[in-house]
Amino acid sequence: MAEPQSPLGHTFVPGDHGNSAGGIGLVLTERSDVSIVQVTAWRGTIPAILTAIGDVTGLNVPDKPGAGRSAGEKSAFGFAPGRYFVVSPSADLEDRLRKAIPLETGTIVDLTHGRSAIRVKGPWSEWVLSKLFAIDFSEHGFPVGFGRATLHHDIHANIQRIDAETFDLYVFRTFARSFWQTLGHAAAEVGYRVE
Amino acid sequence: MTASRLPKGGRIDRARTVRFTFDGKAYSGHPGDTLASALLANGVTLFGRSFKYHRPRGVFAAGSDEPNALVTVLNGDVREPNVRATELEIHDGLVTESQNRFPSLEHDVMAINQLAGPILSAGFYYKTFMGPAIGPLRSTKVWMFFEKFIRRAAGLGRAGIAADPDHYERMNAFCDVLVVGTGPAGLLAAEAAAETGAQVIIAEERPVAGGALLASAELIDGRNAAVWAREKAAALAGRANVRFLTRTSVWGYYDGNVLTAIEHVSDFKPNRTKGQPRQRHWVIRTGKTILATGAFERPIVFPGNDCPGVMLADAVRRYAVEYGVAAGTNVTLFTNNDSAYEAARAMAQAGVNIVAIVDVRADVSGACIEIASAAGAELVLGHAVTGTHAGKTLSSITVQHFNAQTGHVSGAAREIKTDCLGVSGGWSPAIHLASQAGGKPEWDEDLQAFLPPEANQNWVTAGSAAGYMDTVSVFSDGATKGTSSKTKPKLPAVDAPMFDASPAPVFEIEPAAKSQKAFVDFQHDVTADDIRLAYREGFHSVEHLKRYTTLGMATDQGKTSNIPGLAIMADVRGITIPEAGTTRFRPPFTPVSFGAIAGERYGDLRPHRLTPMHDWHLANSARTYEAGLWHRPMIYGSHGETVEQAYVREARAVRQSVGIVDVSTLGKIDIQGPDAGEFLDRVYTNMFSTLPVGKARYGLMLREDGIVYDDGTTWRLSETQFLMTTTTANAGNVMQHLEFYLDCVWPDLRVHLTSVTDVWAGTAVSGPKARAVLEACVTGTGVDNATLPFMGIVHGFIGDVPVMICRLSFSGELAYEVYCGAGYGTQVWEALLEAGKPFDIMPYGLEALGTLRIEKGHVTGAEIDGRTTAHDLHLDWMLSKKKPYIGSGMKDRAGLNDENRLSLVGLISLDNQSINGGSHIVSDAAPREPADSFGHVTAACYSPALGKYIALALVKHGTSMIGNRAYATDLLRGKHGAVEIVSHHMFDPEGSRMHG
Amino acid sequence: MIIKCPYCGPRDVIEFTYQGDATRQRPDPASSDQAAWNAYVYERANPMGAHREFWLHSGGCRQHLIVTRDMATHVISSVGLARDAVAAGKGGDRP
Ligand SMILES: [Zn+2]
Repeated sequence: MAEPQSPLGHTFVPGDHGNSAGGIGLVLTERSDVSIVQVTAWRGTIPAILTAIGDVTGLNVPDKPGAGRSAGEKSAFGFAPGRYFVVSPSADLEDRLRKAIPLETGTIVDLTHGRSAIRVKGPWSEWVLSKLFAIDFSEHGFPVGFGRATLHHDIHANIQRIDAETFDLYVFRTFARSFWQTLGHAAAEVGYRVE
Repeated sequence: MTASRLPKGGRIDRARTVRFTFDGKAYSGHPGDTLASALLANGVTLFGRSFKYHRPRGVFAAGSDEPNALVTVLNGDVREPNVRATELEIHDGLVTESQNRFPSLEHDVMAINQLAGPILSAGFYYKTFMGPAIGPLRSTKVWMFFEKFIRRAAGLGRAGIAADPDHYERMNAFCDVLVVGTGPAGLLAAEAAAETGAQVIIAEERPVAGGALLASAELIDGRNAAVWAREKAAALAGRANVRFLTRTSVWGYYDGNVLTAIEHVSDFKPNRTKGQPRQRHWVIRTGKTILATGAFERPIVFPGNDCPGVMLADAVRRYAVEYGVAAGTNVTLFTNNDSAYEAARAMAQAGVNIVAIVDVRADVSGACIEIASAAGAELVLGHAVTGTHAGKTLSSITVQHFNAQTGHVSGAAREIKTDCLGVSGGWSPAIHLASQAGGKPEWDEDLQAFLPPEANQNWVTAGSAAGYMDTVSVFSDGATKGTSSKTKPKLPAVDAPMFDASPAPVFEIEPAAKSQKAFVDFQHDVTADDIRLAYREGFHSVEHLKRYTTLGMATDQGKTSNIPGLAIMADVRGITIPEAGTTRFRPPFTPVSFGAIAGERYGDLRPHRLTPMHDWHLANSARTYEAGLWHRPMIYGSHGETVEQAYVREARAVRQSVGIVDVSTLGKIDIQGPDAGEFLDRVYTNMFSTLPVGKARYGLMLREDGIVYDDGTTWRLSETQFLMTTTTANAGNVMQHLEFYLDCVWPDLRVHLTSVTDVWAGTAVSGPKARAVLEACVTGTGVDNATLPFMGIVHGFIGDVPVMICRLSFSGELAYEVYCGAGYGTQVWEALLEAGKPFDIMPYGLEALGTLRIEKGHVTGAEIDGRTTAHDLHLDWMLSKKKPYIGSGMKDRAGLNDENRLSLVGLISLDNQSINGGSHIVSDAAPREPADSFGHVTAACYSPALGKYIALALVKHGTSMIGNRAYATDLLRGKHGAVEIVSHHMFDPEGSRMHG
Repeated sequence: MIIKCPYCGPRDVIEFTYQGDATRQRPDPASSDQAAWNAYVYERANPMGAHREFWLHSGGCRQHLIVTRDMATHVISSVGLARDAVAAGKGGDRP
């Protein structure tokens, strides 16, 4: 199968950037190998949806606003009532979810091509992301595993906290290059590496 | 005034030297100096010329309240005007210049304005330029004539033309407690709050913490107050739950306990770290705010009070104690309160020579008398300063007997030689942020000052901002306000004489015979007489007074002038100051650069939205333009071709053979659920529940008021799933529109909406050879007329990429839209081009796309302009009579069916000249102004299919005008030409080509 | 201004889109009562004091909210999901 093209194009430049002489405060990567599927429950079918997500991915997402889980390259989190992102490197993720979730339980939209997954990792991740998004990135305000839907100017983003210093960002593909450049500018102060 | 560096003292680093320039002359100072302290240390006392009268002005204050010493910082060609010299930290290579002088600060020809004083008094502009419009000299014309002269004569700094090369950023912060200010109250409050485990942010506008403690002669816990403050601040900054921001001025207080602050990150540094912004715009959301913002000393107004050498008493003290600078060799103080004595004590300790203290009060406390005598200063009680003598700077003052009860000046004038006069008219709590937050400040008779209003959000004021003026009670108030918990920090021991904080209620000294102006607002050159004049002319309310005189409206927002101005107004009106009332403070507390507010978007204001094929377009000589946030190809240019030649070539290729265009920008919404068909029936004017799976239909949406909202095709992918397409421009709005109805009107419908605009790359293949192109590259499905009829949908592959193809036409040709996953967009695009090679397939841009649709009379946003009805656009056939839909309730209103409405027609140029978009349709053969317009052009182009210049237009009685001649007139661009009104279906009206 | 989204928590007002008065009543879709439609589309009370408004959390969970806000002080006294309120018959002018 043909390789999908990254929206970042020439702006994706591996190596060290910004004030890297002072150390590497952040590592930015593009996760181009994952499937991103949105699952939405009907009123009253959230438990069934969560069970189905658990069956397909092995991730037990609690029924709580914004709650989520991640393990390895797989993750799932809520970002709106009854609405979840399920992310996995397996190409058949959509098919498996579709089998597990009939229309009576909810709906499925494959957003793999519509979103760019960017991982922001490093001791300065909270600081740099706070420049771009008006949400609280501190660990007590944004616990590990949880998801958020927010925006930077016109750029909508879904963000999941993977661990103390790692965040996965899902931004609309057509804005991804613009966002990537803005992210690089914001990270320049602390020095960053693109991998 | 002969200012100089004292032999010792100050928190400057005397071991190191910093070199900078002011008005082209080189000076040196020390790290820790501000421009003001360094220039004073070099004996410079003239800092600028005043706003209106070009009077010489010196530094007046030592902080953000400075009205006079504004300078421009130069960085190559880049100018930053109106920077307060009192806050500007010097660094090697700093280049500054004075403002509002011509040709130089020393010799300013505009100083002649001083002679014109009575003419330039309050309301000068209103009177001169807004008078009745009589005769040939209409007042606006007078203004235009004089404007250049006046703008040069009156003003602050000059803005530059060179772009600011710096970058800025925003920082979003969240905390439980925000402490503004790090004087004694702020430090204790922050400590108390931090002890509870709360997340605390502390913001200090100066480079170092300590506030009033920095210039204090007091001992705190037996140690120098500044040292005590430094250690306390370091301990706080070391806590994990505290973020300590210096050089950070909190300037705005908004609803929901949101505060904004500006942090000077690197603009005080000679060499900046890579990637560091110049300034950072903080937006802080806090649970609770503690406003420990301190108090501002205010001056007493008296004749001749604006010459260089007259300063605030506290400023003289701060230059001495904080910077080791004596502001004069023979300093005098003039006061109505005890704080000047505390200042005298600190100054004397620092080595400043004080010759006299003039006090309007006849009696002062023993502590005051003791300080005066210890400092060797003559105590002149019951007197007031009634005049000054100065060349470029102060040389002496005159004092006369003064009755503080009656305000009466009497007796012979006595002259006191002095080169620096420190004035104290009492202290006003810095209530600016509290006032922004809301509420009316309350007048305190004891302090003769406004205290902060009652809190309406979760904030408190602490320390002198709350009206506590001695260090002991400031500490105690800070600790109390910092936490509601019972455990408070231990209060430090303060060794200081006790003073009375109440000033005598004296704001202005007004001798019977005045020969000098008495200034209230130095920055805007407003005098006490201007206020009285405003009153005589009927401006009584403080709001009117402020606007008429411009009192307090300069960049310092009247920090030093507010209370004296109000007091004078109250006095002429014979009422009390609280009766006169005060105006509400507005953000920003201190000036903020636009760059900082734009933050990371400075220089790149909007994000850029790119289609999956963007790089291909650029690599293939596309000229793009911005459509909303999208970048879209306008034409694919070749050298030597005009835009018109290019789009004509592209459009002709489509009509003759085949072309492809990137339509990935169309809004796309995934609509799923058992009620999806029913939902679409309600939002579209036509029926969708009956649409077979695998077919698309053109749909029209109205607004509730019956006006057309949007159009597009919607594809039925399964019984319960549709893919809606919208116009590019309206994609976001349509999504919101649909979400509104599902959430707020029909929550019972089981439908889910998801924006999938970014999921799909879309390529339209149009032209008589379009089918042949698909046949050459599509596998897994037939594309023949039976398998893929008009409005049919099939799924197949191009290469190994899955594609979804819908046969629909915007161009009027046989055409298909090929959708694939966005990541494969370029591959599919290139595969289609490859397959089209035998047919000379040509990529086309928006201009050609527009041309093709104009020829066909298809509508877009230019015609769906928020005013047109379905009838106006000849789309009535889409209005279902079988069901209600959004807009069906109001579409039949009389006004929407008026026969005089504009409706859609085509135009053909009769003079073979292009028609301008926006032209009016008139009946006059010759250009005339004004003309009676009966319509306007919505879109125009050259039509290669017709070989003519054509346009679409909305014209009154449109349909019945067909066949008539009219004129398209655009006098702004000098165009006026004859047109024939025709049907909007200008090309292939039967639609035989797209059905072929 | 901060709006406390029931799902996302407190967010800046820039994340929200004002979607109009939540107290108006949409007439029966098939109704041709022009006065009723006119009232729904054009008439607004603009009271000084508490007012119910629709806000879309467009930059977050994309849910419509019903926000009760004091028009004079901007103080928000309650926020709920519009779907829940409307489905429970508490949309429109029913408190
Ligand atoms: Zn939300």
